[in-house]
Amino acid sequence: MHLVVCIKYIPDPEAAFSMFSIDEQAKKVTPASGLKHVVSPFDEQAIEAALRIREAHVGTRITVLTLGKESSRNALKHGLAMGADDGVLLADAALDDGDAYTTAVSLSAALKKLGAVDMVLTGRQAADGDAGIVGAGIGELLNMPVLTFAKSIAINSNTVRVERVLDDGTEIVEADLPAVVTVSNEIGAPRAPSLRETMRAARKPIVSWTASDLGLNAENVGAAGSRAVRERLLAPSKVIQCEFIDAATPEQQGVRLAQRLREAKVL
Amino acid sequence: MPRPEIEGDWVMGWPDRKRSVISAGKDSQGRVINGRCPVTQLEGLLTPTDAYYVVNQLEVPEPMHPDDWVLQIGGLVDKPIELSLKDLQKFPGRTVRAVTECAGNDAGFFDYVQKGGKKPSRINQQDMNARAAMREKNAVPSTEEISNESTTTCAVSAGEFTGVPLAEVLKKVGIKNNAVSVRFQGFDRGQPDLAVQYRSVGRSDFKLVDPGVINYEKGMPMAKAMHPDTLLAWSMNGEWLTHIHGAPVRLVTPGWSGNWWVKWLEQIEVLDHLPQCYYQHHYFTYGNGPDDPAKEMITAMGVRCIILNPLDEDSPLERGSHKIQGRAWSGMGMIKRVEVSVDGGKTWADAHLEEPVERWLWVRWSLLWDADKPGTYKIMARATDETGRVQPQIPWNYQRKHFDGIVPTEVTVG
Repeated sequence: MHLVVCIKYIPDPEAAFSMFSIDEQAKKVTPASGLKHVVSPFDEQAIEAALRIREAHVGTRITVLTLGKESSRNALKHGLAMGADDGVLLADAALDDGDAYTTAVSLSAALKKLGAVDMVLTGRQAADGDAGIVGAGIGELLNMPVLTFAKSIAINSNTVRVERVLDDGTEIVEADLPAVVTVSNEIGAPRAPSLRETMRAARKPIVSWTASDLGLNAENVGAAGSRAVRERLLAPSKVIQCEFIDAATPEQQGVRLAQRLREAKVL
Repeated sequence: MPRPEIEGDWVMGWPDRKRSVISAGKDSQGRVINGRCPVTQLEGLLTPTDAYYVVNQLEVPEPMHPDDWVLQIGGLVDKPIELSLKDLQKFPGRTVRAVTECAGNDAGFFDYVQKGGKKPSRINQQDMNARAAMREKNAVPSTEEISNESTTTCAVSAGEFTGVPLAEVLKKVGIKNNAVSVRFQGFDRGQPDLAVQYRSVGRSDFKLVDPGVINYEKGMPMAKAMHPDTLLAWSMNGEWLTHIHGAPVRLVTPGWSGNWWVKWLEQIEVLDHLPQCYYQHHYFTYGNGPDDPAKEMITAMGVRCIILNPLDEDSPLERGSHKIQGRAWSGMGMIKRVEVSVDGGKTWADAHLEEPVERWLWVRWSLLWDADKPGTYKIMARATDETGRVQPQIPWNYQRKHFDGIVPTEVTVG
């Protein structure tokens, strides 16, 4: 069985808001230089899910796949150190600054080039853009069923059974393989890379492909091929108004406070 | 629980051990506001900056650009002055290697040594993020919650600090004859974190003095202020001081606990009396209880010796030869002797002190132990410093400051 996990290298989502500058004219968010980048935490959980499947199905091969700058190689190394077998880096200026659609197009082309893939795993969403639609896009482009928000994944011969997280509970769904599964954080904490596996990862292969390696026309991918249009980008303004409730006694203050809260339709 | 598996990471592009970092508590913006040092994972004498413990009593201030920083020096001096960082760096510099230890480090061992019960661990540390979240809300845990929390360990590190001796600067401004103390003020402001103080005492069923919003300040007796190793430091571990450790300039007071190492310095004032600063009059004191009228400010640390190998968590050990190993340090100078007992204190043997043995730094000590017979062993270690002080020196005090007792490591040999 061959599993491919799509991962994204993103600015540390725990970084302070002040570490990002927002250019409302250019509609761009720029992280401070030197800001630490990490594998998107949901994607780490997708790797964890793949590793658990391999533990139950000996002989399974896990490929980690990422699209991004050359520095995204670090994300692949992290995935390999967690236990994946090989990595694929899609790094090409033509692929940069795309939207969820072009990302799905590029990843789908790479998945086709990889040949027979039994399951594609992704995080439920990337922790930077939080769109959560690339997985569904891959399924659409490759004509695979898509099972989202997986809490647990079980494979039985040629089918996959997924327990999905819903707002008010869970549901169990099943699909034929090959399929796309997006993994939710309820799957549990991803394992920390051990020193032994990290050292082994140094010898695991990473291939790098460009748009032309994938047979993609530069006009259809990256910024040129994007279909989403960013209308406006702004930092939400926080307006804090403080009103002091004054009265002769604490009881009167309480009554006045309740009145004000009622007027503000809070109560 | 055995020690966790060694984790891997990529360091400069090569696969390596994961670098040890603090167990951090972060605010809602993801910024570290406190952290514990992974002392059991570190080798050598100097703690890497990323692994150096962090404790703050007040809010961490906004960072200040070093070019905008000014240090005011006034009070009982001939020439009050303002110094920029560049001015300060023109003085003859000095580098000191010293242990920084939080006054409350290992406080929980006071109770453990006296009464037994749950033993504090240096591996399974506190949930620092829960504490940071509580800090942001100014929340105070109940006595019951405090008793269920793990107590403070690993608030100790050692570093190399470069700066200028405070004495050189004070000589330049000229101290009046009636000077008694020096007051240091940081530009960190805020309301004291009362939860920290309640945790220190171990209960929260009494009222603490809340001074409102204050700057962090300490008033140091003149003799310590004029000691050549008391520094105004701008560098730590070979690089510029980082913001969380008090940049642009912090005070370094080797031998005295971390609360004296005032961070983010902005003002120095020479006084003819010892000021009643909040953090030496109400907190960071020795006393019998909150109402003790004769509370005394804490200064130099006791004599300390910790066993880092084996840990209780390593038990059971295989039969054979084991290296008992740890670190020892003192608030009053060089360690002269470390003795080890494997029979619960009945007999003691001298451990080897591994060079270098420095005045303010901790020393690595070790003893080879042939554990041939199966059984349960109580391993103990005690240190003696150059002034002849043998641990323990510091008696129980209600804020549980400066613990320096002897804590046995208990292991079985299979």
